[in-house]
Amino acid sequence: MLWGKTARYAIAFFLIISLNFAIPRAMPGDTLTNLMGEDVHLSEDAMLELKAKVGVDQPIHIQFLNYWRDLFHLDLGYSYHLHAPVSSLIRERIKWTMLLVAPSIIMGAFVGTLLGALAGWRRKEAKSRLQTTGFLLIYCTPPYFLSMLALYFLGFELGWFPLKGFYQSGTIGDIAHHLFLPVLIMTLFSASRNYMIMRGSVIQERQMLYASYARAKGLSSDQILFRHIFKNAALPIITLVALDFGFIFSGALFIEIVFSMHGMGNLIYDSLLCRDYPVLQGTFAVITIMVILANLLADWTYGLVDPRVRWQR
Amino acid sequence: MALLDIRNLSVSFETPQGLVKAATQVSLALEYNETLALVGETGCGKSVVVNAIMKLLPANAKVDGRVIYRGRDLLSLDEKEMARIRGQDIAIIFQNPSLALNPVYKISEQVSESMILKKRSSRSRAEEISSQLLQRLGLKGRESSYPFQLSGGMNQRAMIACSVVLGPKIIIADEPTKGLDQSMVGQVLGEIRKAKEVNGASLLLITHDMEVARQISDKVAVMYCGEVMEVGKTEEVLQAPSHPYTQALLDSLPERGFLPIPGPSPSMIDPPEGCRFHPRCPWRRDLCSIERPVQKSTTTGWVRCCR
Amino acid sequence: MAEVIRALRSAEEKIRARWSLLGPLIFSSFILAALLADLISPYDPWKRFNPYQMPGWEHLLGTNDMGHDILSELIFGSRVSLAVGFSAAILSATLGTAVGLFAGYFRGMADEVLMGITDIFLMIPQIPLIIVLAAFLRPSFWLMALLMGLLWWTALARIVRSRTLQVREMGFVAGAKAIGFSDNHVIFSDVLPNTLYVIAPKFMLTVASAMIAEASISFLGLSDPSMKSWGTMISYAFSRGGFINGMWWWYLPPGLCITVFVLSLVMMAGILEERDIEPVKVD
Ligand SMILES: Nc1ncnc2c1ncn2[C@@H]1O[C@H](COP(=O)(O)OP(=O)(O)OP(=O)(O)O)[C@@H](O)[C@H]1O
Ligand SMILES: [Mg+2]
Repeated sequence: MLWGKTARYAIAFFLIISLNFAIPRAMPGDTLTNLMGEDVHLSEDAMLELKAKVGVDQPIHIQFLNYWRDLFHLDLGYSYHLHAPVSSLIRERIKWTMLLVAPSIIMGAFVGTLLGALAGWRRKEAKSRLQTTGFLLIYCTPPYFLSMLALYFLGFELGWFPLKGFYQSGTIGDIAHHLFLPVLIMTLFSASRNYMIMRGSVIQERQMLYASYARAKGLSSDQILFRHIFKNAALPIITLVALDFGFIFSGALFIEIVFSMHGMGNLIYDSLLCRDYPVLQGTFAVITIMVILANLLADWTYGLVDPRVRWQR
Repeated sequence: MALLDIRNLSVSFETPQGLVKAATQVSLALEYNETLALVGETGCGKSVVVNAIMKLLPANAKVDGRVIYRGRDLLSLDEKEMARIRGQDIAIIFQNPSLALNPVYKISEQVSESMILKKRSSRSRAEEISSQLLQRLGLKGRESSYPFQLSGGMNQRAMIACSVVLGPKIIIADEPTKGLDQSMVGQVLGEIRKAKEVNGASLLLITHDMEVARQISDKVAVMYCGEVMEVGKTEEVLQAPSHPYTQALLDSLPERGFLPIPGPSPSMIDPPEGCRFHPRCPWRRDLCSIERPVQKSTTTGWVRCCR
Repeated sequence: MAEVIRALRSAEEKIRARWSLLGPLIFSSFILAALLADLISPYDPWKRFNPYQMPGWEHLLGTNDMGHDILSELIFGSRVSLAVGFSAAILSATLGTAVGLFAGYFRGMADEVLMGITDIFLMIPQIPLIIVLAAFLRPSFWLMALLMGLLWWTALARIVRSRTLQVREMGFVAGAKAIGFSDNHVIFSDVLPNTLYVIAPKFMLTVASAMIAEASISFLGLSDPSMKSWGTMISYAFSRGGFINGMWWWYLPPGLCITVFVLSLVMMAGILEERDIEPVKVD
């Protein structure tokens, strides 16, 4: 069961990364340009040398093998615009993205599942309805627009937060000050998605007979929710949250752009302006790997916490 | 004074199709140490009555009447007070054990949970008691299994353990033998009876199996279309029934030749006027379709029939 | 007492009924505005006036850096945004339904393969992939819709498949097969109609996420500069200084339009979905 899944992920990984290999070669235009980026001006000699290095002269299957070999050596190509290997560019930026994404996803998971569970349990109460409306609004707003709103009102108008997120050289306090607003937005954004899923899940689970039996055993309302329903409702969420990871991560890229943070989002934004294809492709490969790892992790966790899966192996 | 006194209990459900009158003026008494069997065909409102006693009905239910337990009307208690009574004073064994147990917890956890939460026992003490109980119920070595790993009969016994672990004064069992094969029926009934005797409890047993009622109960109450039609000592009701519906039920048993009850089951949204059984009654008279019969005493109980 | 409670309950139901009208109401007014853009828009969205005007009588929502009237841009922009959302959703709904029906109806090998493909598509980081592809190709809204449609069918395929597995076990389907109707006939006249109610809410949600994605990708400047969508409006406000200079009237309206329209879609999907969850029975 689990090995079957893992094999599927391996196939997915292989195919998506191969797609990444195929894109610059299949797209219209000069393959060399597609591999190096637009507006790269070099002398004739340098060009020839590069051609050999990039390997466009070789047969396609050799290129393909070389591509995978490089990938396993963590070589994602070279950015001729930024004059640096793509992998070191990404490594430098991904730290900052993780600083935004990791706490937000964790807090968003806690806040979203907890409040979502309560809202599904007491969904007739005015408080839950109000809360659901709030999260629904966040759910329906593009995350970057949400960031613009927050930055405009809390940054511009009230002056509580800095307008830019350049915090490379700051102290811890300074970094925290700069990070607060983007992390808040990102947390709300990921919480809103978990909230909606968990609320629906609890609304379904509460109709199950075991919930009624827990009441018959004399448990209080809170005990029924947290001891009986919560685990059942949260289990399928593990997989759903992992499937959502790609979307949430993409959201973070946009939030970074609005807050001018020094992460992968702005790396992509800048690469788009000058069509720095190697960087774009490198980031796509890295994000793919992260998404697949997240799902693999989710399946493993699921197998550990759900007895029905654990015992079927 | 009976241990549990149900007086004029009526339950109706608001549904898009109309008001479902699932129970109408049900009156029953359960004495100390007594076993009362509630019988009747499927859909006649048996589960609704016991869920009303436990206050477990969904929000669309409207409940009237009184359910007196030790001088207190359960229907007037709030959710908190009721939670204290459930499990400790009155416990229920549900109809469908495989769905009633929580799929993601071991059965021993589900049994000891009540001890820990309601009796404030230590975890180790609770686990000791629950594993003893499970062993007595023949689940030795299965304590740390999950419900999906056990058969229906095993889950049934696990649920019995869950329900009786706190030593309730009243045990309600909703068709505990449904879907079990014949060899299991005797065993499960034996377990329930044992749990009852150990705790000195009373038992309210729902069944549509007359044979089960004969084996285990002191008294029998017969329900039809949301009403109790006849109550009395088991021997009297089963040997010399006073209500034509009871007679018809007995005639439909295999050993009496499988005589089916003529006519369709009645609608609970528009129940028949007068006596609810009159459209299917062989002794019907003109009066039956007009006037609801009053209770008449019999040797050991009462009957609701004009004859 | 009982009367009071009943009165309260019916009042609540009325309010709820009103609420459930809100979604369709917002939805249809946006559709109407998009269809009637030529009639209701005060100006041609490309006509130039004085730039950077605050909202006023002349220009209800002000003008942008090029002097374009924002309200007119907003009304005409709804056409592009809605068209992208709906074409992406129609394409993905068609694909997802076909895959789901096929996998659920024929089961076996076909099911294994199709669901394997679905699982792989689920792993693709969709927005980053669209960004990469759009960077290589000439920016176009149709391309965006096409890519989204090709990537977004997976969720629907799964839902339709599990519904199909249920439906094919129902009596009338077996009956139709026994009578000798072809698989094609059975799928399209017996199975498909019974899956429509799980497709409808999912379709709305797909339109919603396609519109959010369109706005996001346009925000990166990957859209056709000769057309205007709500996303491009925000993108220009951001990249050409409207945001940093506090010109809220430039980017707030398109952003709010996205939120409100998406909200109406989600609300309608919610109403459609809830229909078959509600009834409960204890036993
Ligand atoms: N929540 C509910 N909403 C509406 N009607 C209900 C609800 N619960 C039960 N009913 C109706 O009440 C009637 C009695 O149901 P009940 O479950 O008590 O029957 P029963 O005698 O226990 O039958 P069985 O032997 O099949 O368990 C049925 O007609 C049922 O449809
Ligand atoms: Mg029942």
